[in-house]
Amino acid sequence: MPRRSPLFLALVLAAAQTVAAESDPGTAKDVISAAEKEGKLIVYSTTDAALVVPLLKDFAALYPKLTLEYNDMNSTELYNRLISEVAAGAGSGDFLWSSAMDLQIKLANDAYALAYASPELPHLPQWASWRNEAYAVTFEPIAFVYNKRLVKAEEVPQSHAELAKALAGNPDRWRGKVTAYDPERSGVGFLLITQDARLDPNFAETERSYGRVGVKLYTSIGAMLERIQSGEHQLGFNIFGSYATARQRKDPSIGIVYPKDYTLVMSRVALIPKAAKHPNAAKVFLDYLLSKRGQELIAKAALFSIRDDVEGETTAAALNRELGGTLKPLPVGPSLLVYLDQAKRLEFLRQWQQAIGTK
Amino acid sequence: MVLATGLTILSPLGIILYQSFLDGPFFQGSTKLSLSAFRFVLADADFHRAFGSTLIVAVGMTGLAVPLGGLLAFLVVRTDLPGRRWIEPALLIPIFLSPVVIAFGYVVAVGPVGFLTLLFREAFGKAPWNLYSLASVTVIAGLTHIPHVYLYTSSTLRAIGSDLEEAAAVAGAGTAQIAWKVSLPMVRPALLYSGVLVFFLGFELFGLPLILGDPEGMLVLSTYLYKLTNRLGVPSYQLMAVVAVVIMTFAFPLVWLQRRLLGLSGRFVSVRGKGLKRVPLRLGRWRWAALLLVLAWLVATVVTPLAGVFLRAFVTNWGEGVRLREVLTLEHFTELLDYPNLVRGVVNTMVIGVVGGAIAVACYATIALVQHRWQSRWAKVIDYLVMVPRGMPGLVAGLAFFWVFLFVKPIAPLRATPVSLWIAYSVVWLAYGMRLISGALLQVAPELEEAALTVGASRGQVTRHVTLPLIRFGLLGSWLLIFLIFVREYSTGVYLLGPGTEVIGSLIISLWATGAIDIVSALSVINVVLVGLGLAVALRLGVRVHE
Repeated sequence: MPRRSPLFLALVLAAAQTVAAESDPGTAKDVISAAEKEGKLIVYSTTDAALVVPLLKDFAALYPKLTLEYNDMNSTELYNRLISEVAAGAGSGDFLWSSAMDLQIKLANDAYALAYASPELPHLPQWASWRNEAYAVTFEPIAFVYNKRLVKAEEVPQSHAELAKALAGNPDRWRGKVTAYDPERSGVGFLLITQDARLDPNFAETERSYGRVGVKLYTSIGAMLERIQSGEHQLGFNIFGSYATARQRKDPSIGIVYPKDYTLVMSRVALIPKAAKHPNAAKVFLDYLLSKRGQELIAKAALFSIRDDVEGETTAAALNRELGGTLKPLPVGPSLLVYLDQAKRLEFLRQWQQAIGTK
Repeated sequence: MVLATGLTILSPLGIILYQSFLDGPFFQGSTKLSLSAFRFVLADADFHRAFGSTLIVAVGMTGLAVPLGGLLAFLVVRTDLPGRRWIEPALLIPIFLSPVVIAFGYVVAVGPVGFLTLLFREAFGKAPWNLYSLASVTVIAGLTHIPHVYLYTSSTLRAIGSDLEEAAAVAGAGTAQIAWKVSLPMVRPALLYSGVLVFFLGFELFGLPLILGDPEGMLVLSTYLYKLTNRLGVPSYQLMAVVAVVIMTFAFPLVWLQRRLLGLSGRFVSVRGKGLKRVPLRLGRWRWAALLLVLAWLVATVVTPLAGVFLRAFVTNWGEGVRLREVLTLEHFTELLDYPNLVRGVVNTMVIGVVGGAIAVACYATIALVQHRWQSRWAKVIDYLVMVPRGMPGLVAGLAFFWVFLFVKPIAPLRATPVSLWIAYSVVWLAYGMRLISGALLQVAPELEEAALTVGASRGQVTRHVTLPLIRFGLLGSWLLIFLIFVREYSTGVYLLGPGTEVIGSLIISLWATGAIDIVSALSVINVVLVGLGLAVALRLGVRVHE
């Protein structure tokens, strides 16, 4: 390849930037140039790096002057790391992106977050941001997942009521075959089951039916999906449709049902810590994630785009058409903090343990 | 030097103790001194369950590992067991396999829809075992700890010579009678020592119950501690510190007891016969039955889980109704390259194993040399200091070191580098490493050094020209063993895991939690291959895995 002069490259880049597509983020010019001076960006995230590789590559192509360091970790770890690093006055992440919505809101509530009005805000639903500090980036439906090899089509429950009825009606058929998050050991699992308690009018009964079939509880979505795939378990509830869809692309024996009575929608919430050393670079990344260009790649990664102007199977737009009013997105805001009160949390867990009979 | 060693060892311990008496994270302004964490944990039903399970597992595995390990040592060292030359190195494999990898392999092999379970079910209609029960964890833990007992017992057996047994044989005693009446009493101190050791290791068990206890919600103390991370929704370091304190309360006396017993068994061993020529005892028609028993154990503890791990690494999915031929793939390994942190993890693991292992051995050797020939009160202090980290579970030590690196400003820049991990590893394995080195040092009689001193050599010269050359081979062996231990290590890195400090062991734990099983299986295979290579080199060089 002939060597190009730096000037030539700069010209090409400039040209590329002036013909920026409409789908590109609308970040203000001064923010971009400040970010480029910072040159670097450290992301703490709960999303598997492999899932977002195309997204990160595209970001690098769009902002070649920014070096992005992506670290995935679990949600509690992410939270703990930030508060201890801030307390130590040591460097921390510039951008937090976590599926533990409650912990993200707690960080914002405890004044750890920087306010930034993203220019992409008008394209987001009303409930998807809080005080310009916390932003929902994805729109992930919570599903029932089953093994198509082992569960007959007519056996698959289509709603929470049907699930409870199926389990209670034939507990021997399902004993040891049903799986879900363990609310005691998994923060996300706790959040989901408390939402069930709020939305399912017959929650007490549903809960008992879980107990009757000896529901198997895990701390990770991967462990559950792996075991549904292998047939060790056959049906799982409160499972992220995003992960299940990604798995389904590799293994067609995975079946996914969005419950017809209500389908919870979770988001991965992003925020920029006040302690960020590269706040402008973080702003650029936030705008990029929320932009049409970023959201198209979010949809491609089966994380479900939250913008209504992104089309495709794994988007809010498609889900809204299919499920309409039964979609129940968890609003990004202080209502998520209810169960971070220790007494309330332990009381809920005590009731749960009693209902499913582990105590 | 005493000061430096002391600080490195005691600072994590101090942080944990302090943290256990607070009502919030120690670094938060609003935190007060309080006993509330102790009250919460001690009143928690889960804690009592976990404590009970821990006792059952520890007692059960000791009950299993000690007799079987003793028997194995007798068979390999004293009898004409067929193929004992190649059996011996194979016996040691379980020590160097990560328990997480083993547990994961068992799930694929003999879990409810494991490939062996399915075969068995096809043949007999039902598979009568449940991998996720307390009993299974106990049995697996017992089987995988047989080598620990074997090591101590076999080296005692070797050291005491077989003249007494031969005398008994001449007098007409049968092999079983000799084993029971003559050999057993001689190795009793070694059995007792290894029993305490296995019981102690049972208290710290983490990887096995983490993975096998998940589906049934079974908890032991270490997994209970891990679970507390999430219990209150926000970090509950004070609760975790309390559990750590509880574990250490039991661990320290056990460590101390081990030391006492080791002294005893050493004294016993020193009564040795002169002519060490051994005539193996005849097993007669039991020869092949004995071999079969040993092979059955190897198949159960090494072949089965490794087959599971390798199988899972090369298929896209598995289980009931899956035809394995249709799902074969190499994708998981190529996928690894997509994750820069995984690539870093593999590189870091090797660097920490090879370079870190070498530096750790150098440090251990320095401390050991000072202690070895320096008769002073301070040598005694160091002697006790090096025992301390042994009583701290790796998981807890890792968390404490994370705090140390975070809040001690001068060393803070090291936190995001493998150096932090290396320090944590070196401290956690200090007692083990020191034993390796002092084992090598004990082989050098003080006369040689004294001779050099008499002809006018300085202390430094003696060390450089006499002691070090004499223990060179011992140091090389220690390096290889430390390499194996560092490559296998997983729990210490869990809380230190971050950009720059990835290693295979802690990545497996973290990825298991996020559920990237494909990657976990590929990493496990790489881990096993690394350990296998290290072990092969060690055996090739004739390194004795013990002392």
